[in-house]
Amino acid sequence: MLAFRSEEHVDRWCKLWRVPRGATMTLEQQFDLAVAWYDDMLDPDSGRRSPGDAEALFRKVGLRGDFWRLSE
Amino acid sequence: MVRSTDALDRDVRLFVYRCIIETGQAPGVEEVGRGLDADASDVAASFRRLEADHVWVLAPGTTNLSMPAPFSTVPTPFWVETGKGSWWGGCVWEAFGIPPLVGADGTVFTFCPDCNEPMEFRIEGGNLQPAGGIVHFAVPALRWWENIVFT
Repeated sequence: MLAFRSEEHVDRWCKLWRVPRGATMTLEQQFDLAVAWYDDMLDPDSGRRSPGDAEALFRKVGLRGDFWRLSE
Repeated sequence: MVRSTDALDRDVRLFVYRCIIETGQAPGVEEVGRGLDADASDVAASFRRLEADHVWVLAPGTTNLSMPAPFSTVPTPFWVETGKGSWWGGCVWEAFGIPPLVGADGTVFTFCPDCNEPMEFRIEGGNLQPAGGIVHFAVPALRWWENIVFT
């Protein structure tokens, strides 16, 4: 995942490099997700996050829809 | 010292991340083995199990840590500077996670892939300071681990 200046820059870059236009999130959503994702990383008891737990974090920062689905 | 596999994996994971945070360098299996009083071959097996568990990515065919998320041992477009040290982040998601993880304010330096304009994101007091920009994910979440380097 990459940071761009705007949606217009994403569109142009995807077209130029023939990269599928996926989904975007705001910088604030990305930051909130990063904080939550790594929050317990240095906890001795932390384990691999289940798909359901990861999807719950996505929903918590407002990411919804099939693009963010992790369960088969 | 005899440990269960789960206990060894936990100790290896914590030792590696503490090394990266404290020294800026990712340790190899020999160093981890010495630090944990464990056999290097057991640590190597642990490195591989933790890769299979998506904790980190190893350089192909080796036990060298390539992307111990959120850090990267190879240069990326995401350089993170904090009062406690500087690291490469594996992507913008991971770069944003580094200052809070190490407990410091910091700045993420990157650039727009479209126009190459530098972009800086300041994290102060645990908060992202207002900045222009947007994050793009090319690949749906379910397919991220098909090729985690391209997401």
